[in-house]
Amino acid sequence: MSGERKILRCDDVAPLLVFYTCDEVSAEEREQIAAHLANCSACSAQLVQEDALRDAIGHIPQAADQFDTANVLLSQCRSELSESLDELSAPKVDEGWQPFSWARQWMALRPGWSAAALILVGAIVGTQALQWLPFSNSVAPGSAVNVLAASKIPEDKLVTMEVSNVNFSQSTGKIQLRLQAEQPMTLSSDEDDVDVRRVLTFVVANGDRFDAGVRLDCVEALRAAASDEQTRAALLTAARRDQNPAVRLKALDALRDMVALPAVRDTLLVTLQRDPNPGVRVEAVNLLVRALESADEAPEVLPEAPSDFGPGVAPPALPSNGREIEQRILHALDELRQHDSNRYVRLRSAAALRQIALQEVQ
Amino acid sequence: MADSSGRTGGSSAALATVTSLPNLDERALVSEAQAGNRTAFEELVRKYDRDVLRLALNLMKRPEDARDVYQEAFLKVYRNLHRFRFECSFYTWLYRIVTNVCLDHLRRRQARPEDQAPEIHPNRMEEGPRDFFDFQKEHRPALDPERTLMGKEIQSRIARAMERLSPRERVVFEMKHYQGLKLRAIGDALGTTEETVKNSLFRATRKLRSELAELR
Repeated sequence: MSGERKILRCDDVAPLLVFYTCDEVSAEEREQIAAHLANCSACSAQLVQEDALRDAIGHIPQAADQFDTANVLLSQCRSELSESLDELSAPKVDEGWQPFSWARQWMALRPGWSAAALILVGAIVGTQALQWLPFSNSVAPGSAVNVLAASKIPEDKLVTMEVSNVNFSQSTGKIQLRLQAEQPMTLSSDEDDVDVRRVLTFVVANGDRFDAGVRLDCVEALRAAASDEQTRAALLTAARRDQNPAVRLKALDALRDMVALPAVRDTLLVTLQRDPNPGVRVEAVNLLVRALESADEAPEVLPEAPSDFGPGVAPPALPSNGREIEQRILHALDELRQHDSNRYVRLRSAAALRQIALQEVQ
Repeated sequence: MADSSGRTGGSSAALATVTSLPNLDERALVSEAQAGNRTAFEELVRKYDRDVLRLALNLMKRPEDARDVYQEAFLKVYRNLHRFRFECSFYTWLYRIVTNVCLDHLRRRQARPEDQAPEIHPNRMEEGPRDFFDFQKEHRPALDPERTLMGKEIQSRIARAMERLSPRERVVFEMKHYQGLKLRAIGDALGTTEETVKNSLFRATRKLRSELAELR
């Protein structure tokens, strides 16, 4: 469609106008078309129409804007892809020596005796062994007490403040918060780590008061601290109660490496059974499968203090042993497979059950 | 001005995420991923997957289909990464795979008429036909209810006309108008010439114009 230096006719210009409007003609063609348009009212009128059509095309609502405003679908896709990559790159299971396989087999065949034995062991450890441990919750009279630096934000300010900006650098892990209160202030994790953590956990645990975007940023910033008990409690609360599915999903994702903990598993089970968003339920399925895998690797139940689940939400009962957890998870997945309202969740649960069955066979 | 990936400036917010990282980093990431580094591969995925999902959603119109496209495309990339020889940018290579997967899905769907994507609700005009282009002169549509209605009708007709495009025309149209790619970059992604892409875009635009001409 390029040409020598020549005078273009209307027949030549008309088919080029589509490309002229979207800047897809050569500089030479552009010059020739512009020269022609300056003297041709018919082609100029057609150019106006082409511009109008292009403008109308640009204003059509896009499916991507309608379907995935909260990035739930994107998170779901990433999770599924990660799972598929796990399957592709998983090495063959070594069927050689498995430590304590005799104990697992014995316990599997005698669930009642197993539960009783584990409770007895737990009671002995709880009453006798703890006194020999180097730490204790009680503070003896006269003993030294660690005193933290005075907080910049008293409790009453924490309740009334607004977070206007969360700046989190993934590469350095540094967090900067800008707060709107009676006296606006900026907190940085370099200097005010304790206060930054307090604000972040407060925002995450009291989601209704803050903007969803701010909550998402706070969850992301807390991800690296999920091993901390208070942070984890806030993330668990967000995973259960936040109004926004993207926040719930991100909170679950932040707890990804903590699935071995009973409180996290219980939250996953609750999510599986009650969360109204199918994307979040699918994420819970993925993490529960991961929990089962980690249970196979580490059958001991990790010690954990009870978490604060807020008013109206009963604290989860700690399961007495790994087998019980496994049974609850399997039961929940089977329920989902049969009765979930979303077809994809049903399919995903069925696939998860197959995956678990396959692992047990191996 | 087009950047190295063939995108034109300011076409979408997602562009910033793609163009903000230097190519050197990407080359190193691809090499690492080729050597079997899973983290490097996931980094590459996260760099581009938002745009890939957006393209898939816009073309397929159904989240479940877009999800299938996403999975299939990235698994293909993972399995065939060792074949990538840096003869083009990773972005172009990735988009070649993604567009091929999209084209396959669209062709399969076309072969099964019962499996068409749901149509966007057309807001029928109760009045007689009007000239579409008359309405483009008003610059404040929100202040003119009549024009708002007409605008919806135009959008619905364009959406309907898009359904009538061939899979290739649709992919070209989407990549040009909504992903902001230059025709040459689209040609690279589709493994065809710029001239062929130009013809596809011209045909697609003509079909759209003919659908809107009925409004006259």
